[in-house]
Amino acid sequence: MRQKLVTFITLFIAWIIFSGGISFDVLFVGTLVSLLTTSLFHDMLFRFSNHKLSLLDYLKKFGLILLFIPVFFYEAINSALKVSIHVFEKKPSFSPGIVKVKTHLTNVTAISILANLITLTPGTMTLDFDKGDRVYYIHWIDVKTREEAEARREIIERFESWLDVIFK
Amino acid sequence: MLIREIIAYIFMSIGAIFAIITVIGLIRFPDVYTRIHAAAVVLTISAAFLTFGVAIYVWEFFLSLKIVLIGVFFLIANPMATHSIARASYRTKVAKLKVRTVDEYSDYLGSEDK
Repeated sequence: MRQKLVTFITLFIAWIIFSGGISFDVLFVGTLVSLLTTSLFHDMLFRFSNHKLSLLDYLKKFGLILLFIPVFFYEAINSALKVSIHVFEKKPSFSPGIVKVKTHLTNVTAISILANLITLTPGTMTLDFDKGDRVYYIHWIDVKTREEAEARREIIERFESWLDVIFK
Repeated sequence: MLIREIIAYIFMSIGAIFAIITVIGLIRFPDVYTRIHAAAVVLTISAAFLTFGVAIYVWEFFLSLKIVLIGVFFLIANPMATHSIARASYRTKVAKLKVRTVDEYSDYLGSEDK
């Protein structure tokens, strides 16, 4: 029930934003379309694995996500500048390679979000994830070290600690 | 000129500069994977800055919200496309790693085939 309600509200807000104004027609058609979509696909958008969380926990998570956005953009701009410097070198002098990085996250959502964040930051890109060993295979434009612990600190630790707190 | 417009122009020009850097990088970098890294700059930084700048420039509640939502969709959809291009071109051996220092993924794929 809660899953259906959250899906309906999310779809309805997205509908209102995209229709660009609030009037009777918009609300009427939006309700119908959101109800139809919710009744068909309510188990696809959100999955609640832990039903014990209260509303306060969700608010706390939302606040943490909002705090995380500037941190992410700071890291992204930092690494974008590092990649941009390579563009203007006379002979591009980088040492790309594929490294193996182990993670300690267990939540499926957290693992996939971490993979997407690694791909979004310029300079690193996730190629594959091994479910058995929980290991990312990451193409890195500037392999500074072949030590696994060093690479881990360099690439994923800055996001991993945040995701640890959010998906506790 | 309003101060809001100046801020919007600054955001949009940062996005445009990063886009130009990306194009130069696409031409100059040696192989597929490093070119994807150059493209990732435009996919995240440039798109985010441009959409944010345009949202400040129009300054209308629903229109700005719509543009920001488009930027969020950019950020959700881009890593999937990048990841699937890179993974497919590695696994089908269409593009080889021309420059490399270490390649631990080929060992993993080799152990999977056995």
